[in-house]
Amino acid sequence: MEDRIVEKDFGDLAVNMGPQHPSTHGVFRLKLYLQGEKINKIESFLGYLHRGVEKLSEKLNYDQLPPVLERDDYLSPTSNSLGFVNAVEKICDIEVSRKASYIRVLIAELQRISSHLVALGTYGLDLGGALGGGASLFLYCFREREKILDIMEDLTGTRFHTNMNQIGGVRYDVKTESIDKIKKLIIELRPILEDYTNMISKDEIFMKRTKNIGVISKELAEESGGSGPILRGSGVNFDIRKNKPYECYPELDFKIPLGQNGDAYDRTIVRMKENIESLNIVEQIISGIPSGNIHSRKPLKSAKLTKPPKGSSYFSIESPRGELGFFIVSDGTSIPYRMKIRAPSFSNLSLVEKLLPGTFIADSVVILGSLDPVFGDVDR
Amino acid sequence: MFNSFIEFSLPIFKTISILILIVAYLVWLERKVAAKMQSRVGPYSVGYPHGWLQPLADALKLMTKDDSIPKNSDSLLFNLGPVWIMVVSLASFALLPFYFDNPMLNIDLSFMLFIAISSLIIIGIFISGWSSNNKYALISVLRMTAQIISYEIPLVISLLIPCILIGSLSFGDIIRFQESTWIIFYPILGQLSFIIFFISALAEGNRIPFDLSEAESELISGYTTEYSGIKFALFYLAEYVHLFGICVLGSIIFFGGSNGPFFSHNILIVIKSLLFFTLILFIRWSFFRIRIDQLLKFNWIKLIPLSFAGLLLACFAKYYMDFN
Amino acid sequence: MKLVRIFKNIFRNLSFTLSNIGKPAVTIKYPEERRVFPDKLRLGTFGLTSDKETGEENCIACKLCERICPSEIIEIDIEKRDGRGWAKKFNLDLQSCIQCELCVQVCPVDAIIMMKEAEKPTTSRADLFLTKAKMMRNAENLEESWAKGSLLQDSHTPTMGEKK
Repeated sequence: MEDRIVEKDFGDLAVNMGPQHPSTHGVFRLKLYLQGEKINKIESFLGYLHRGVEKLSEKLNYDQLPPVLERDDYLSPTSNSLGFVNAVEKICDIEVSRKASYIRVLIAELQRISSHLVALGTYGLDLGGALGGGASLFLYCFREREKILDIMEDLTGTRFHTNMNQIGGVRYDVKTESIDKIKKLIIELRPILEDYTNMISKDEIFMKRTKNIGVISKELAEESGGSGPILRGSGVNFDIRKNKPYECYPELDFKIPLGQNGDAYDRTIVRMKENIESLNIVEQIISGIPSGNIHSRKPLKSAKLTKPPKGSSYFSIESPRGELGFFIVSDGTSIPYRMKIRAPSFSNLSLVEKLLPGTFIADSVVILGSLDPVFGDVDR
Repeated sequence: MFNSFIEFSLPIFKTISILILIVAYLVWLERKVAAKMQSRVGPYSVGYPHGWLQPLADALKLMTKDDSIPKNSDSLLFNLGPVWIMVVSLASFALLPFYFDNPMLNIDLSFMLFIAISSLIIIGIFISGWSSNNKYALISVLRMTAQIISYEIPLVISLLIPCILIGSLSFGDIIRFQESTWIIFYPILGQLSFIIFFISALAEGNRIPFDLSEAESELISGYTTEYSGIKFALFYLAEYVHLFGICVLGSIIFFGGSNGPFFSHNILIVIKSLLFFTLILFIRWSFFRIRIDQLLKFNWIKLIPLSFAGLLLACFAKYYMDFN
Repeated sequence: MKLVRIFKNIFRNLSFTLSNIGKPAVTIKYPEERRVFPDKLRLGTFGLTSDKETGEENCIACKLCERICPSEIIEIDIEKRDGRGWAKKFNLDLQSCIQCELCVQVCPVDAIIMMKEAEKPTTSRADLFLTKAKMMRNAENLEESWAKGSLLQDSHTPTMGEKK
């Protein structure tokens, strides 16, 4: 009798979330080993967007590098060039004027808001579907972001890769008409962003799908190398703008929102609250831009004239994704000897190996979205 | 004999042609309403200024696309799937008094047969997902089968509650009973049964917030991944036909059918079902979707006991009414 | 109670999206409507200017723009006569330009500038490879952007006072 019933043990079903996928936020390949709907094991493959920026920087001069480096983390371009320019100024000992510092922080904070709006909008696409409620959230966030991009176009000339930061200062000056436009933008944006924060944080289906999913405990967050909203969502109070301040941040007054549990819900809420804090910073900046020069060096003639002394330096800033660091080794010529970028999304993405096994397929998309990777930053 | 054939088939042609026209323009309506809710302009260029030729342009485009069959698939089942779904969805319309006084199939057990026929749709979905030879289609079809079979029960029971109060199952009696007031205004049972019916209708028609097996962001496109061309169009239209059928059913049983707020005419069934459809559209473009295990837990733990409680309450209410 | 919270939630979500129906659409229906470009626009094509009074070309072929371009798209050939340099050949490959405007910044004579309109979309790659004649025609026909070499260098000089 027992011979008729043969139990076979089928292994795991291997499903490929390939490089082209609507929800992996970029080109990322994940191989999931499924048992029913639960994930047992994953394998991940990176490198689909590698463009060789670090090798390219061994051929270009220091003055030519900021426009190229802006294409690194393409959702907040000025943070890349801000970090690089500060690192070079640290080796050369150049003092940046206060007015240039204020303009740099103005553009960096505006781009922080636009980057967080993109993160929220695409998170809505993951949760709700490209044809459905998620698409409504996506289009609302991008509609607000268009207003910010119009301001950037008015200040600098392009909507996105602004190329404002140069070694020693900023490229353009700010006119009074632009300041009036920014004042009008703040008055328009503040109730809208608070409204979105309120609506999302109390949405029943959003809470059901993101609470207790992808929990990163405080110890795991501290020892893993994650940074940015991931660290602050778990309750660790560390922000480079407060702990190791740079530019003109010591003069500005802002708070750091913290989360409690470290799940996907907390991380999203931390990002949305950071938006409002950035609006406060922008308001303080435009109410008191000092007068002065916008550049501290002689006007740019040839890139070969910038020759930093021999040495090395490391400088890190707080990009919307975490700690973005530049390590430069210079050997006295106008071309860097070695430039290494410490990419925040690369270290954040390594948490995926610990978080995904044991959850459902539907949760894997939620967890990836809350880590907010940008693959230009991961692969450089 | 030829005369009786024409007499026999004329209502079928009339119904099917009106139905296909309405469903094609339901797609246009959905795109326009969705665009208005999202601060954009929907179709506007084909058939300027409001894009009312867009469904025709879509149908022509889909007809000229490449019709490919995967290599290791079962080609008979692969080609049969969309046809099955469309035929069954259209066949279930034979039981509804849609615009004409009597339905084509005038029997006593009206809506039970409607639900029985439309529950054959899941076979068509299953064979099209299985024969695609694709892991994504397989996972999505497994989820969908579990979802549709589970939500049949509250659908039937919530439609039985008004029928117990009325005392008969045929459409004619239901419409005649609602000449004074609609069922939805009945003290507690009307609203309770409408809410349960609405949730199960959303789940049966695969609409957000329960659409986790078709318009996915996790598993590309569900059971329609391998389809292109005219077969894809058949899937799309069949979903709208089935949903429209459920809307007509809901407007007959809960909203009075042809007894309007001010006057009575047969056209009011169409108008009321269109308004019901618009309500379902608003819900689609405003909410996220839930996960499959939360969906099934919600059904078996909360919805089915609630519907059984409502049924018991309806029996007591009817006994009380008959007793006095 | 939980049920009340769910209902309030549903009504709040629905009212948020439904209240958007009355507001006007934000789409700009190209090509019937166009949007207004700001002064400093940087996504256009390039132009080589000439002197307003004499009609001479401004470019002295000093090759500063060729050396600073990060994408290396400019090619210049120099010829000397009449006491100054002239550009015999000035090629610019518009397909690889990253619109950083560094070439405009370093030009000492305001020769190369960016225009406020982009090149027309075309189906052949040769149309996007700008030659000297094409760029001089651009400077005559199209509108100029705000940024010029002398303006930028003046505002960067550390000895200048406050400028608005």
